[in-house]
Amino acid sequence: MRADRRWSLVARYALLVLLAALVLFPIYITVVNSLLTPARMGNRPPALAPSNPQWHNYSAAWSDGHLGRYLANSFIVSISITVGQVITAILAAYAFAFLRFPLRGLLFVVFLATLMIPGEVTFFTNVDTIRSLGWYDSYAALIVPFLATGFGAFLLRQSFLTVPPDLRDAAALDGYGHWRFMAKVVVPLARPAIGAMSLFAFLGAWNQYLWPLVATKDERLRTVQIGLKSLATSQVDKIPVTYAGTVLAFVPIAILLLLFSKQLVRGLMAGAVKG
Amino acid sequence: MHTSLGRGITVGVIAALVAGCGGSSKSASSTTVPKADTLAKQCPLDALTKATKPVNIVYWHAMTQANEDTLKSLTAKYNASQSDVHVSLVAQGSYDDSLTKFRTVAGTGDAPDLLQIEDTATQQMIDSQSIVPAQACIAAANADVSDIVPRVIQYYSVGKVLYPVPFNVSNPVFYYNKVSFRNAGLDPEKPPTTFAEVATDAQKLKASGVKYGFYYKRDPWVLEQFLALNGEAYVNNGNGRVKRATSVLFNTPAARTLFGELDTLVSSGVAGTNPASGSSQYDNLLSICSGTNAMTIDTSAALGTAYEVLGGGGCAAKVEIGVAPLPGANGAGGTLVGGAANYIVKGKNSAKIAAAWKFAQYLTTPAVQSAWAAGTGYVPISKESVTSKAIVELWAKRPGYKVAYDQLITGKENEATAGPVIGDYQGVRKAITDALESFLIGSTPPDAAITKAVQAANDAIKAYNDRIQG
Repeated sequence: MRADRRWSLVARYALLVLLAALVLFPIYITVVNSLLTPARMGNRPPALAPSNPQWHNYSAAWSDGHLGRYLANSFIVSISITVGQVITAILAAYAFAFLRFPLRGLLFVVFLATLMIPGEVTFFTNVDTIRSLGWYDSYAALIVPFLATGFGAFLLRQSFLTVPPDLRDAAALDGYGHWRFMAKVVVPLARPAIGAMSLFAFLGAWNQYLWPLVATKDERLRTVQIGLKSLATSQVDKIPVTYAGTVLAFVPIAILLLLFSKQLVRGLMAGAVKG
Repeated sequence: MHTSLGRGITVGVIAALVAGCGGSSKSASSTTVPKADTLAKQCPLDALTKATKPVNIVYWHAMTQANEDTLKSLTAKYNASQSDVHVSLVAQGSYDDSLTKFRTVAGTGDAPDLLQIEDTATQQMIDSQSIVPAQACIAAANADVSDIVPRVIQYYSVGKVLYPVPFNVSNPVFYYNKVSFRNAGLDPEKPPTTFAEVATDAQKLKASGVKYGFYYKRDPWVLEQFLALNGEAYVNNGNGRVKRATSVLFNTPAARTLFGELDTLVSSGVAGTNPASGSSQYDNLLSICSGTNAMTIDTSAALGTAYEVLGGGGCAAKVEIGVAPLPGANGAGGTLVGGAANYIVKGKNSAKIAAAWKFAQYLTTPAVQSAWAAGTGYVPISKESVTSKAIVELWAKRPGYKVAYDQLITGKENEATAGPVIGDYQGVRKAITDALESFLIGSTPPDAAITKAVQAANDAIKAYNDRIQG
């Protein structure tokens, strides 16, 4: 019996190690490739470890891809979008979860409907709107269109609904109005969901490509994904540099994921098992 | 690089934008040559004389790294050399990005005054109705373009009107390892001149111990080049230059033979194959470096890196790089032009149009083309520039560059070597790429693959034409 359990544990870990290796290998080989010389890139079978690491590939990627400026832009844009989305989503979700008002059900369906519309559909209308507002080629163009999402409102509403109604009554007896109830009770209880939502918002903003490309023309407003694309159009002798750029663009995301992975998982589970 | 097939979402966006620009456009169906004085009105050169100086213009380009540095220094030289025009460069990263972005701002104050766009987009740029044909400025300035390589002028002319001002040109060349040739008992100074010879040499190379005698990159460009070398048009209506092309013509005996030969080479393990986009897109060149391959075809724009990486001594195999003309010529045609050209953007400010022309023209002058070709490895388009010290020295040191230039000045100038003009050029290329994959990786017979490609290409052409003319 005990031996059985041990074996099943070993098997389980073996499987997990295998899966982890599958997931991590592309990242590992990207790092390896980023440290090779162009000539060694041609080796078959491919190099699995860099024998003579070419660290200067990283400085080349940093300067050729203008990654310093572009990473800063990506941070400014992604953080602004994340903060904006969290605020608007909390307010909208609170209204749908706790307030009674006419057409509430219908309005919520309209919110949900926006989830079904692919971004490409509204793309050109958004470009037009931005231009007629005079925001073309500015940070506003990169940020404002993404300050509110139906997804965020939906995710947080599901989480807010798990707050027991008794708490609302108790808070009301203590003289809490909607604002204080939201800030002191609902938001702290929904922290995992808010954390997950923030992470999604940040990742989404960080990985944007087409919108930042089209909504700006100034090189100084470019984001990191566009910098990577221009690195990737380079030539044979620059392939390791492209890999180095990819690693640089990936590092901030990796750090975030490590920091918030617990929140991410808890947040996703939160809506799943509504009592 | 002239051709990147990883276009993904931008293609759809461009298609949608082109569709949005349609409606009022009339088809390029007239065969009459526009009158010089009507054309000249589109390019108001005297506006520059009257304007307050300097006239500031914005040039969107897609050059990166060393090429960008060369462009920057040439532009700085231009800005310093005169006080009428001041050019600001804005790097747009890639041709695709630049075109996508231009589509969304064409006709607004946010559009640039001069724009570098790649070879395949000529019809789309005409259809955008937001450019001033270079021919208009040539007529207005009474400019002499006889110094520019005729095939380049031909390539960018539709209905006898030159649309962009030519700038950076490349074309595919044949790369091989002379060391492997010697080891296989082949004459390293006699590279193959036909695909049949490529096949026999590849077999000998394989017999001598090289894993692949030849590596074929699945780039649809090769088929376009092959038909041009054979003097065969790629699409109908004068290769799309007399009237808008409506169907492809690449299902010819020569093309079927080529596909058949490639199929035999790859399926028998004599040749390797790699995709033209993504992380394996240079495997055909890098495999020469690792010693698993001895011959391949790639753009002349890769010559600089080929000399440095393959010939730089860092390779696992002994490599002595040889560069030869593209095999397959039969005397009836010649090699096609690739690369990119500069479009003058139609705007409200006439002085800027004139200024954009001035700068674009400056970029074609012998001195600039000589510095440009020496600094970047692009093929010089000025015939006079090749007698300059910089080019003579470059060609002596790296004769491959001369091969790429010679390909463009030899052969016949005709409809076939002018190259195809197609609205949905990328759609047609995708059809060929799919066909190449289906018989080089899959098991479809090459003939069936061509038949299917014809259908897919014609559908793409029709869909585009319907959007524009509908």
